[in-house]
Amino acid sequence: MNAHTETRHGAAVNETTQKASETTLLDPRFYTTDFDELDRIDVTPIREEWDKLIAELRSDPNKTHFKKTADWDPVDWEGMEPELKKELVDFLVSSLTAEFSGCVLYKEMKRRGNNPDICELFNYMARDEARHAGFINDALREADIGVNLGFLTKAKKYTYFRPKFIYYATYLSEKIGYARYITIYRHLEKHPEHRIHPIFKWFEQWCNDEFRHGEAFALLMKTDPKLTESPINKLWIRFFLVAVFSVMHVRDHARPAFHNALGINVDEYDQEVFRKTSEIARQVFPIEIDIDNPRWQRGLDRLRVAMGDMDRAKRQGGIGGAVARFTAGARSGLAFLSLYTIPVKKNVVPANPRLEPAY
Amino acid sequence: MGLITREKETAPCMVEVSHKFESLHAHVKFLNGAVVNPGDEVLVHGAPVMAPYGEVVIEERTATITRASTVERLWTKLTGDFEVMELCEFSFSEEVTL
Repeated sequence: MNAHTETRHGAAVNETTQKASETTLLDPRFYTTDFDELDRIDVTPIREEWDKLIAELRSDPNKTHFKKTADWDPVDWEGMEPELKKELVDFLVSSLTAEFSGCVLYKEMKRRGNNPDICELFNYMARDEARHAGFINDALREADIGVNLGFLTKAKKYTYFRPKFIYYATYLSEKIGYARYITIYRHLEKHPEHRIHPIFKWFEQWCNDEFRHGEAFALLMKTDPKLTESPINKLWIRFFLVAVFSVMHVRDHARPAFHNALGINVDEYDQEVFRKTSEIARQVFPIEIDIDNPRWQRGLDRLRVAMGDMDRAKRQGGIGGAVARFTAGARSGLAFLSLYTIPVKKNVVPANPRLEPAY
Repeated sequence: MGLITREKETAPCMVEVSHKFESLHAHVKFLNGAVVNPGDEVLVHGAPVMAPYGEVVIEERTATITRASTVERLWTKLTGDFEVMELCEFSFSEEVTL
């Protein structure tokens, strides 16, 4: 899913002040998967834990959390340094896009499925994501940025993901989302002077939703041992771990002013998030990435530089750009391969995967 | 479904767009039970469904479903997985530098 930001000068919005206002067009992708396979999921082996988790989701612990209270300090968007403003807005837009896209995916799985256990789960998760998206949307509106939901009347192609890929990617995405939010929250608890936006105060309880969603995918993966134990799937899990971690590294480095204002060193923060995510993922993944291996940081740096070069080559265009893009692409591929081939650490996965948020 | 030809069909649908503080979401539901498969394309007719802030808009519309050819469907099934990374929060902006 992409978010396109277009600037629309204020005539239509406010003719008197001529204030520039931006509209972000949400452009989500639509997904399909093997819905028959989802219908065949049988939660019997993990029924007890499943029912507990569904009861927790049904009770909706964060129902009243997403309200703007007196804790929501005013944000000085006008006086904000432009580079920081751009990166903070990008952070909010990409978070909103993620929540929105999760909502679209979960709702589709709920609607197309016939398995009552699965449908109930996806219904609650879609509810949470839409609520998060609404809350972030409000924060963006304060910065005079509106979202355009007019995408439905544009032609939409449906992309296909195999169910297991959805499990691996969304499990990791939810758990890493939890780790990112709680790490920022704990950091700002100690350094409130770096809290550049009030939304961070909401992260502590907020990320428990992400944590719970991750728990649901952990249980889903437990319904079929092959998903995490077959040799091929172990290679896929390894691929997803490396891909998710390295993409996060590259993306975080694209927001230097944002992290600087938060008083966060990107490399240290990312390592901390990888550490927490790896510890949590021991609940279900039989392998983990050795992020303390010296090759890890080196590989991430190489990948980031190569992807930066690729991005510049893309902007440059022409034959020179195409050649530069090819060589940078090859270097990215090699860097990724070197990350992927770092020997992994093995875990003994517990019979009962359930965890509580503890960071 | 043709091997390389696409077929079009129309379907009535319900469009729901919520632009509220409590929930930001948008969904399309086909009212005739039509099912969308990998590679199919859906176009909802009419003007963009714009919900002003604080409102939910629910409208009945017509949609054209362009069915993917057999080849396209296979291709979408084979290659879709490569795009799965877009489900992760931090991978949405495609540019490495902002």
